[in-house]
Amino acid sequence: MQIRNFSIIAHIDHGKSTLADRLLQATNAVTDREAKEQLLDSMELERERGITIKASAVTVFHTHNGEQYMLNFIDTPGHVDFGYEVSRALKACEGALLVVDAAQGVEAQTVVNTYLAVAQDVDIMPVLNKIDLPGAQPEEVAMEVEQVLGLPAEDCMLVSAKTGQGIPELLTAICERFPAPRKSLIPEARALIFDAIYDDYRGVVIYIRVFDGTIKVGDKIRMMGLERTHQITELGKYTPKPTKVKQLGAGEAGYLVAAIKTLADVRVGDTITSELNPAAEPLEGYEPPRQMVFCDLYPATTTKKGTDFEDMRDAIEKLSINDASFTSQTVHSEALGFGFRCGFLGLLHMDIVQERLEREFDLEIVQTAPTVSYKVDIRGKGGEITEIEVHNPADLPDMGSVMAIKEPIARVEIMVPKEYIGDIMKLALERRGIYKTQTYVSETRELLTFEIPLAELIFDFYDKLKSTTAGYGTMDYELSEYRQDNLCKVDVLINGEPVEALSLITHRDKSEARGRSLLVRLRKQIPRHQFEIPLQAAIGGKIIARETIKGFRKDVTAKCYGGDVSRKRKLLDKQRKGKDRMKSIGSVSIPQEAFMAVLDVGE
Amino acid sequence: MTADHNNPSPPQGQRPPFPPSAPSGPTAVTGLPVFTSQARTTPEPLAEAFTRSPAPVRSLYIHIPFCAHRCHYCDFYSIVDTRDRAEPFISRLIEELRAQAPAAQGQPLETIFIGGGTPTLLPVPLWDRLLTALDSLYDLSLMRTGMGEWTVECNPETATAELFDRLARGGINRLSMGAQSFNQTLLDKLDRRHNPDNVYRALDLAKQAGIERTSIDLIFAIPGQTLEQWDADIRTALDLGTTHLSAYALTYEPNTPLTARLRRGEFEPAAEDTEVEMFEHAGRVLAGAGLPRYEVSNFAAEGQECRHNLAYWRQDPWLAAGPSASGHLLAPGGLAAGSHRWKNTPRLDTYLDHSHRGFAPVNDHEPPEPPRLIAETLMTGLRLREGVDRTGLLARTEALGLAEALRQAAKEHEDSGMLVVDAGRWVLSDSGLLFADGIASDLMAAVL
Ligand SMILES: Nc1nc2c(ncn2[C@@H]2O[C@H](COP(=O)(O)OP(=O)(O)OP(=O)(O)O)[C@@H](O)[C@H]2O)c(=O)[nH]1
Ligand code: SF4
Ligand SMILES: [Mg+2]
Repeated sequence: MQIRNFSIIAHIDHGKSTLADRLLQATNAVTDREAKEQLLDSMELERERGITIKASAVTVFHTHNGEQYMLNFIDTPGHVDFGYEVSRALKACEGALLVVDAAQGVEAQTVVNTYLAVAQDVDIMPVLNKIDLPGAQPEEVAMEVEQVLGLPAEDCMLVSAKTGQGIPELLTAICERFPAPRKSLIPEARALIFDAIYDDYRGVVIYIRVFDGTIKVGDKIRMMGLERTHQITELGKYTPKPTKVKQLGAGEAGYLVAAIKTLADVRVGDTITSELNPAAEPLEGYEPPRQMVFCDLYPATTTKKGTDFEDMRDAIEKLSINDASFTSQTVHSEALGFGFRCGFLGLLHMDIVQERLEREFDLEIVQTAPTVSYKVDIRGKGGEITEIEVHNPADLPDMGSVMAIKEPIARVEIMVPKEYIGDIMKLALERRGIYKTQTYVSETRELLTFEIPLAELIFDFYDKLKSTTAGYGTMDYELSEYRQDNLCKVDVLINGEPVEALSLITHRDKSEARGRSLLVRLRKQIPRHQFEIPLQAAIGGKIIARETIKGFRKDVTAKCYGGDVSRKRKLLDKQRKGKDRMKSIGSVSIPQEAFMAVLDVGE
Repeated sequence: MTADHNNPSPPQGQRPPFPPSAPSGPTAVTGLPVFTSQARTTPEPLAEAFTRSPAPVRSLYIHIPFCAHRCHYCDFYSIVDTRDRAEPFISRLIEELRAQAPAAQGQPLETIFIGGGTPTLLPVPLWDRLLTALDSLYDLSLMRTGMGEWTVECNPETATAELFDRLARGGINRLSMGAQSFNQTLLDKLDRRHNPDNVYRALDLAKQAGIERTSIDLIFAIPGQTLEQWDADIRTALDLGTTHLSAYALTYEPNTPLTARLRRGEFEPAAEDTEVEMFEHAGRVLAGAGLPRYEVSNFAAEGQECRHNLAYWRQDPWLAAGPSASGHLLAPGGLAAGSHRWKNTPRLDTYLDHSHRGFAPVNDHEPPEPPRLIAETLMTGLRLREGVDRTGLLARTEALGLAEALRQAAKEHEDSGMLVVDAGRWVLSDSGLLFADGIASDLMAAVL
């Protein structure tokens, strides 16, 4: 039997998951009746948001020229936060279907995903999708593919994942054009762990791609990096139903179960070998995912019993069992009590984790504004310089000892219609961007490359890009380096008390404007109290901006609602609950939304 | 509102049937908890409570849910009746009054309040039926001697000699006049349709009919109202010789046209400073005229306080009949055992169509819970200038193991001078009264 391993990659919403559906159907892996939209998006959140969050690997069978082909393919997430998932999926494959929406053309992520595939040395087959759309322009888009990505226009396959048009031809091309997996180099078994998920029933399920030798059910295996051994209790493939097999040979992909209780015991990118007959060297793995965005999560309510923190700890532990790409550690804040400092792959990832905590664990959460991770040179007492990583402005040491602050810089690709180039240049400059290159894409569009500090990107840059370009601009980014700049920490004082959770790190030239706009937002968010509340922004003790919340003069309703005492009581009760959900700084109650106010000060 | 509406009438505004095809389930368009105006049952424990009252109930509230027009600020339950339902309503009301009568245990009623809506919109023959029925079901002897207090809310437009005459003969001895303002422009802002001159006329007619006690309702902090205009309204009311005055700061209730207009930005609400200034001005002027404030929004000459309202605010029990009316019955163990509170369904058709041994369908029934009654005592009591019985409350909370928490909560406000301990009572200071809700809420949280 022939084997072909490939990933499906694309810009968000260009139709990867729908194409995967068609491949499943065309190979009779699912019946027409079973086929539902984006079948592989099984998480509730994925189905609701209509996006893919986790890559999923499936195996189907196809007969071509009288020969049986086993096709292992991986549908990948399109959102930039999950670029890491794309890289590791590619690592398990020889080919990649690069899906491009024939109506929209090459977008920023198409470009970045192509770079990833090229870097992994996989064969790329461009697939122009949605040719059924009236606005589809396959010829033009094929030219864009050639111009921007350097892939021959004539190699483009034309399909409609909606109508199924072109799918048989695509299957043929997959069999004919993608290379077969390489033969075993050594007799000892070696398999790459390219993903792992947590399943309530079976524990950890590991996705592997076997490169050398064979692994069988019952084998004692060793993870070469973590140096742990386990016994395989189940091997299988998703077809897409989980289907058990006895063994997996070189070139095959599938899943493995071995009574592993937590994802912490598995490292994606590790190599599995046989315990009895181990390979000498592991396969080339990958870097663990990089957390790019950090924020603190605190329980929203503090019950009298104080159990909320414990509930949250439980939830976070459970969540990290099946999402190994977010990190957490306990923190304590004057204002918010005990909570967790968490690291995420990006903003969407942060959003998703928060939503899962609230939804799956029924928690109410206060989230502080996201920040990036800074590298800070500090001078010790003896004059020695050490570099520390700071994930939160609150952790920045006294500015006196800070020699330099270095921030992450992203290489940003932006695809825009020509008429918006000026606006985008302006936007990027406002965000301290450095213009790098401009590439011709088509008559109407250009690809712009900038270096922009990540911290500037996470403040609604994407929203601004969308609104500036009437929705047509797209972007993607990769982290390129850490770079020193004139950065400083802005403290916020409420009623004279510094509130660490509200402090921010910003460029000195922008500090005053940011400080001021943060205070204005806080003034709108914090309810009036019986007394006047001064709000101040300061750099190292020097006040740079000030606002005041006037005290209210009355808190009494005119009516007692006649005899409807219950109504009045319920009204007070509701107000009280609102107040209980606020956090107290000294005698000031601050609503949770205020802690997000820092997020919106980007302009 | 016809009259002292703001006061004794049970509100919980009528919620318009909006949107027409409202999605089912308790998620309101407004984000407010959906209020189930559809309740069709009377809980049995409540029905029972009418016969198990530990002492005779001495007060009765009756809600008449009809108005000629719905004023834009109003959220009381009332409708403009286009289907001649006044007559069946009176029949159904009498049935309900009959069901509740055993709670009076044959003893005379001390206070009755007939509010709405616009009770004076009922034609005289229907008043006739209602008054006759009341007379046969309850002991009204105190009303005739003037020892009892029987108030009817009155819309100045509806006053006639014939009506007032009938009311006086029935035992009614107090009228609460819904003036709101004597300034036509301000009345227009409220979309309140009456001619201010009719207030004078109505008061005259009342006097002629022999109804001596009157109260006047005023509203302040109306958009655009100046302090001078407010002062003029107060003085006009005083010149009319009233001995009781209710002065309400205009409140923007959810689901009222006025609030919708405010949200649309059609006008600027009064500034908070102005409102506080008007509140304090009313206190000064009326005290000077011999009508000191006895509750946040109520002023009276000595002995002229509304006893019916005081019954509410002092946690006495009372009966309540008519759609949307809310009542209060003590549990068999008395105060310490807590009390039942209920609210009849605020929907006329439901009220007409459903009856449980004569009782009305009930929207909300809160069975007795001692801490809840304590919280409610604090809530309504602190609004009174007489305050609440601190010694008694501490004794009751002691029994529940909550006294220390209550003391702690009170301490903060005692220290700030807003809450004063005076002769075994907790009383709010002048400045404390302006923060009555917040302070009550803090104290209530200690016991709930
Ligand atoms: N008309 C048309 N619509 C399509 C076609 N393929 C996909 N779509 C639609 O495009 C949208 C996005 O499709 P998905 O398959 O979810 O795209 P995706 O690339 O998996 O998206 P992410 O996983 O979020 O990156 C859906 O509304 C699909 O129904 C096609 O060939 N023709
Ligand atoms: S609509 Fe007007 S008259 Fe009717 S109850 Fe309300 S305020 Fe009184
Ligand atoms: Mg998808």
